[in-house]
Amino acid sequence: MESRERLLAAMTEAIVAGDKTAAETLAGQALSAGLDPHEVIEKGYIPGIRKVGELWESGEYFLPELIGSAECMKAALAVLKPALGAARAKELSRGKVVIGTIEGDIHDIGKNLVAAMLSANGFDVLDLGADVKPARFIEAAREAEADFICLSALLTTTMLNQRRVIEGLKERGLRERFKVLVGGAPVTRKWAEDIGADGYGENALAAVKLAVELGPKGRFR
Amino acid sequence: MKPALRILPEGRTFAVAPGRLLSEALEDAGIALSLYCGGRGVCGKCFVEIVRGRLGDPSEEERALRTRRALPTSYRLACRCPITGDLVVRVPAASRLPRMPVLDRGVRRTLALDPAVRKIRLTRPSPDLAEPRAFFDALAEKIPGSRLPESLRALKDMALPAGGEGPDADVTAVLYRGRDWLAVEPGDTTGRSFGLAVDLGTTTMVVELIDLETGTAVDSAAGLNPQVKFGADVVSRITAAFAEPGKLEALRASVVDGLNALIGGLLTRTGAARETVYEAVVAGNTAMSHLFCGMPVASLAVSPYAALFSILPSLPADDTGLAIHPRGRVYLAPAIQSFVGGDIAAGLAAVDLAHQPGNQLFIDLGTNGEIVVKKGRRFTTTSTAAGPAFEGITISCGMLALPGAVYKAAYGPEGVSVETIGGLPAKGVCGTGLIDLVAGALDAGLLSPQGQILSPSKTIPLAAGLALSQRDVREVQLAAAAVKTGVRMLLEENAITTADLDGIYVAGAFGNYLNISHSVKLGLLPRFDRRRIRFVGNSSLAGARALLLSQAERARCETLAKRVRHISLAQGAAFQDRFIDALEFKPWA
Repeated sequence: MESRERLLAAMTEAIVAGDKTAAETLAGQALSAGLDPHEVIEKGYIPGIRKVGELWESGEYFLPELIGSAECMKAALAVLKPALGAARAKELSRGKVVIGTIEGDIHDIGKNLVAAMLSANGFDVLDLGADVKPARFIEAAREAEADFICLSALLTTTMLNQRRVIEGLKERGLRERFKVLVGGAPVTRKWAEDIGADGYGENALAAVKLAVELGPKGRFR
Repeated sequence: MKPALRILPEGRTFAVAPGRLLSEALEDAGIALSLYCGGRGVCGKCFVEIVRGRLGDPSEEERALRTRRALPTSYRLACRCPITGDLVVRVPAASRLPRMPVLDRGVRRTLALDPAVRKIRLTRPSPDLAEPRAFFDALAEKIPGSRLPESLRALKDMALPAGGEGPDADVTAVLYRGRDWLAVEPGDTTGRSFGLAVDLGTTTMVVELIDLETGTAVDSAAGLNPQVKFGADVVSRITAAFAEPGKLEALRASVVDGLNALIGGLLTRTGAARETVYEAVVAGNTAMSHLFCGMPVASLAVSPYAALFSILPSLPADDTGLAIHPRGRVYLAPAIQSFVGGDIAAGLAAVDLAHQPGNQLFIDLGTNGEIVVKKGRRFTTTSTAAGPAFEGITISCGMLALPGAVYKAAYGPEGVSVETIGGLPAKGVCGTGLIDLVAGALDAGLLSPQGQILSPSKTIPLAAGLALSQRDVREVQLAAAAVKTGVRMLLEENAITTADLDGIYVAGAFGNYLNISHSVKLGLLPRFDRRRIRFVGNSSLAGARALLLSQAERARCETLAKRVRHISLAQGAAFQDRFIDALEFKPWA
């Protein structure tokens, strides 16, 4: 019992320290020891990424630490998720996200960060890349039966295209099917309200919080 | 009754339409408010103190900006506050556009003096009855191969000296590129011929009056680009330009008016007549060049960010609105494809990069950190989004390199000691001071290489009431990493390393004040033999001067601009990994 607690604490620590090898190895050890992968994720790894979020918010961590920890999460989840089985993985997912940088804009570091943090926090993320046309967002979201469409824009000029996704959804009668979240350097809460988006995340952490709040499993945990 | 707005310390009162934004009302009243972000409520530069009166509650964003700048709750963001009733506001100096000149220096190299504008003294044709030749025919004959202007206004101006007194009176021909008649002036005016070199920066602009006969700079004037009020960066100005009809023209007029004010000041100071200034060479980035011409900029705003022009023929001065001789010409320094502007092409001309031996690296540390690599006879360039941090714009206590700016800082046993421009009390910190402070804090153990402020106060103090915040340090990390990543990837693209370089040129407002070892410590500049790092200051202005003084240089610059290949780095996982890696403050491996 005590070793189980130690193992979970080591997982948390591996994520906070950004130690990918440890994160991966510990996941394997947990499976060999017959631990429930879901419990391992929730009690070992998720507290780690949550702590990373706190360190980011207090200014102690910056992009490299955030990305490093998100990569550790990815490595650990790659080991644990297959063990969950498809049906259980789906059941435990916090929601499906279609994300991309809007048409006309080739910047994608911010978007990648949000995508990584969403995956690290238990969302299924489909990343469409950069310079993505509004229609492509809508098709991909419909095909994937997504819960969220996340739109990034790094330029005040391309930001205007975010509105076109929402208009496209309305035209197709699909507006209520998806939550639309917007972000990016020039984007503000006011802009999100103006175009009728469901939410605005100032940074990757805020985006995760927002998605958890608005998601299909908002009260999950 | 309309609400009354009383403005302190001016002490003037104005009636305001209800609902008008406080920023608009202040601008209406003639207060030059600092609206770097174009009134979008994101830069936090227009805080004013509400001495009396009520406004709506501040938004979350406004509150966050206020906290970041450590202002009391009586401070409100003018661009976010509609006026609903009587107000008394105090507009602090920090929220006003600075009116003082910016630092100004350039490089000089020797050039064969060969300006496009030449004056030639001619004997005035004196027709007689036996051979009643037309005045223009007689003139044109004196300059074989020359062409009369295709403008009636120009021809009428040229006709004025035809009725000069006395048979032997001289006239002076003003010719452009030895071929086009710009003017015919009565008498001998040779020796009175001037041109302007113009550095049209996104943030600052510099105009230099050059004597075209001697090639010497007579005087120069500098100021903020007045377009700053439409937005701090190129993108927000492009957005402003197509946001509503008439805005493009407003942007054009604003920059031309600003330049004309500088020109007016120069002419008054030097006593040179406007009609003796025949040409201006303008070096600016692609967006600034388009906006100066009033050319549509919509295509610059979205991928693939295509320009309308890279190289233009010289334009009639009166078409551009620039207040020089109305028949004079305006030449825009050639741009490199769509992305890299005439300011960089001019910079390359200034340092004569094409003729430097072997492999060379050119870095312009402006808002768009532009980088050029010369490998043998191959030229490549890229731009990186360094942002305006080094110009002080995104730094809480940042400012341009103006009097009162901390431009040098050092850590000693008694803490930090700073030097300010003009020796004035410290008002803020400019780019070079920022680099000194961050490097010093790193050395003193106040800052981790990851950029975390380790002191309990979570600030890096620099002078009374001034300190860098954690967020400021993050801005420096982002800017330095953008430059470092750009340089590394462009070198890799050329399959060379810094060891293969024969020289490095560093251009930008930093000039000679940039501390090399501090820049190396932060990873902004590579480790390199410091004797072969050359700071060339405002190379855009120096290049404009070279293009003004030498037609051959102009032709070479156009050829070079066409030869430089632009490489886009913003895409792809390789850039991201490198960029994230470069965020750590450490010297190049």
